[in-house]
Amino acid sequence: METHAIDPQAMMGDEGGARLLLEAHKVTKQFEGLTANRDIDFDIPRNAIVAIIGPNGAGKTTFFNQLTGIYAPTSGSISFDGVDITGMQPHEVAELGTARTYQNIRLFQNMTAIANVQVGRHVRMRGQWFHAIFGTPSIRREEEEVLQRARELLELVGLRRRTENELAKNLSYGDQRRLEVARALASDPKLLLLDEPTAGMNPGETRQMTDFIGRLRRELRLTILLIEHDMKVVMGVSERITVLDYGEKIAEGEPAEIRANPRVIEAYLGKQATA
Amino acid sequence: MRGSASQLRRAISLGLITGAVMLYLVAVGIVLAFSARNTITGVVTLGRLMLAAPPLAAGYVVARRGTDLAPRLVAGLLLGAVSGVIVAAALLFASAVDIRHILVRISPPLLAFLAFDQDASIGALLNLALAAALGLIGAVAAVVPSRVRRPAITGVIGVVVISMLEPFLRPRLTDFKLEGVSRFLFTHKGLSIASAIVVFAIFAVGSVAWPRVRARYRARVAAADPGTQATIRGVTLLLLIVFLLALPQIAGSFLSQVLVFVGLYTLLALGLNIVVGYAGLLDLGYVAFYAVGSYLTALLTSPISSLGVGLPFWVALPIVILGAAVTGLFIGAPVLRLRGDYLAIVTLGFGEIARLLFLSDALKPWFGGTQGILGVPPLFGVAKVSVPILGWQLTGPTLTYYPLLFFCVIAAIVATRLKYSRIGRAWNAMREDEDVAQATGVNVTNYKLLAFALGASVGCLGGAVFATHLASVFPGTFNILVSITVLSIIILGGMGSIPGVVVGALALIGLPELLREFAEFKLLVYGGVLVLMMLLRPEGLLPDRVRQQELHEADEEEEPGADGGALTPAEQG
Ligand SMILES: Nc1ncnc2c1ncn2[C@@H]1O[C@H](COP(=O)(O)OP(=O)(O)OP(=O)(O)O)[C@@H](O)[C@H]1O
Ligand SMILES: [Mg+2]
Repeated sequence: METHAIDPQAMMGDEGGARLLLEAHKVTKQFEGLTANRDIDFDIPRNAIVAIIGPNGAGKTTFFNQLTGIYAPTSGSISFDGVDITGMQPHEVAELGTARTYQNIRLFQNMTAIANVQVGRHVRMRGQWFHAIFGTPSIRREEEEVLQRARELLELVGLRRRTENELAKNLSYGDQRRLEVARALASDPKLLLLDEPTAGMNPGETRQMTDFIGRLRRELRLTILLIEHDMKVVMGVSERITVLDYGEKIAEGEPAEIRANPRVIEAYLGKQATA
Repeated sequence: MRGSASQLRRAISLGLITGAVMLYLVAVGIVLAFSARNTITGVVTLGRLMLAAPPLAAGYVVARRGTDLAPRLVAGLLLGAVSGVIVAAALLFASAVDIRHILVRISPPLLAFLAFDQDASIGALLNLALAAALGLIGAVAAVVPSRVRRPAITGVIGVVVISMLEPFLRPRLTDFKLEGVSRFLFTHKGLSIASAIVVFAIFAVGSVAWPRVRARYRARVAAADPGTQATIRGVTLLLLIVFLLALPQIAGSFLSQVLVFVGLYTLLALGLNIVVGYAGLLDLGYVAFYAVGSYLTALLTSPISSLGVGLPFWVALPIVILGAAVTGLFIGAPVLRLRGDYLAIVTLGFGEIARLLFLSDALKPWFGGTQGILGVPPLFGVAKVSVPILGWQLTGPTLTYYPLLFFCVIAAIVATRLKYSRIGRAWNAMREDEDVAQATGVNVTNYKLLAFALGASVGCLGGAVFATHLASVFPGTFNILVSITVLSIIILGGMGSIPGVVVGALALIGLPELLREFAEFKLLVYGGVLVLMMLLRPEGLLPDRVRQQELHEADEEEEPGADGGALTPAEQG
């Protein structure tokens, strides 16, 4: 796979001094009576791959949604890259340098594959409506660059050239997953959030996906947060794992520690073993 | 065997529906209204064709599926016969029992028409036989290959359209000293049998020849060097421009009036298309922007309006556009959080509020209440323009046509450029999934407001030109039907498609203007057209071509990426 077309420097953004890219402090989220997240302290070091695992309904996606501004935390605070993002709108958080994929693929179904990626680039584009109407040279140049860039990204995630003008809804399941990743990468994020990226994949494909995630970190110097349902998936790829159960953080540490942690085994692995 | 049995069952149920549709057309009076229009004099009238269309179309639909020839044809025949039985039974019943006090349209002339001026019993048999034959013909159309079907259908459409244009074509042909052609074509308000055959042949041959000519032309252009290509494109564009500029002269005054209406609605639809087609915001109060454009223009340009400043049109125009854009923001802001049906209902209310404000007594000092505003000067300051050299005298519709054409072209260019830019894609993303669009970085608040403001700016142009065309504005013009009509145009043409908008306006505005009988049934026809479109072709007549069908089919056998680093596709589920 050739990735030289993507310049890692361009994807890094300006490197701040702080070691932590994201810090969440005592984040709590309540949905009428139900506490989906309770007092969660969580951080992500730069250029790390960390994972959040937990059984069904543990509150993983809810936590994700607060990191990306989709829900405002009921209490607690979140800062990203030195900026307090608590209560910010999703598009503002995206502009700061986060990008995500969804547990149940959510593409722009009736748009072409390439257009999906181009929308992903939206936050990094400057063209305004009046530029578009008058067709100024600046917007033409920008559009051309973005088209070029979108093609490179499709290639990076392994979508072949002729799928670029396909409607997203007509792509195969696997291609849709890849397209979602390409769309997320298009905004040159500092932090990539992947919500169960291997859902619906067989073991072989799952391995390829985790390899790909590792490559993304190395080659694009991304920081990645991974949600997983299945603990085995994240053992190899992530250097730190956080375990949620019933909305609470019950353990955090290196894969080996987590595997040995009795609370985790009871709350999670035990449950899975008996299931 | 089982397949054909289910096909026959389907034929019977579709036949019942078809019969009901035919009875409905008869009972509302539309068939009789059009029976005065000769399509081919002495052979068939437009009313008769309308009644023939349902079994024909249903026969086609029912026979489209299946592999064996015989059952498909039988299904068509059966369907036609079933629908014919219903019509025949209704005819016999209505002749025996007087039901006029319930269905006022069931008059003796209608019954006579339905019975082919025969005895009711003979008429019933004729109806049965005719409907069965039509169902069979529909089935045959489904069975024959498309290289036969396509020219045949085009030929029939040609005959119908040319005969419909008789009242306008005949005088124009005389104006252009082509009485010979006119005399050959038309006998007593319809085509003659001979001319119908000729017209059919011309259209049929045309439908075969046109794609070939176009393909050859494209191949030639593609093979030429870039310089020649640019020249060819330039010449084509020039020819198109010349044609559009000369169109009112060719069409004459009456057809120009029709063109003006088509142009007005094209402009409105181009604007609404930004809001509904691109951004997916179902705005049912679009008429408000049309009204604002008209009233602002009248206020600013009429010397006898409350403002009384009497600005020239082109000076007033920027203020009008700005005013409309601000109105767009005002209407957009409160509905930002609403989605789908809620948005539609609230904007519907806003449209009515706009009309009532212009009508209200409280604001009468400004907007003139029911009297509206009079004395709007013509757009170019004079009512008549004579073009030197060509000797054209432009006045009324033949004059208004030009600014409308100008604005339509501008609006189409603006819409196209927006569509294929960062802005258009952000709108589309919002339409597809608002939450994901926002999480991807689209500021949905701003982009919604932008869609409303730009849509309003385009729509107000139509209002501005029309105020000068009518020399006045009245609140009655701006009713909800305008919003509905504009939306229907977009749906018919294909959401988000610019050529679709033009075709939609021609079909929904142009055709009814040509057929005076339509006036009474306009809404019925709109409703019918929309229902049919939703059932048969929800993407519209001329949808956006966002992908190549071949590509789609070729991609079924997907193989893993050649390089090992890439992800391979997963099995579904
Ligand atoms: N918008 C919401 N309103 C009310 N309850 C919600 C909402 N979103 C999530 N929940 C609830 O919060 C709990 C946590 O859900 P969440 O989707 O975060 O779990 P998860 O860990 O992602 O589970 P899974 O592995 O199934 O994806 C669940 O009980 C869920 O029903
Ligand atoms: Mg989840």
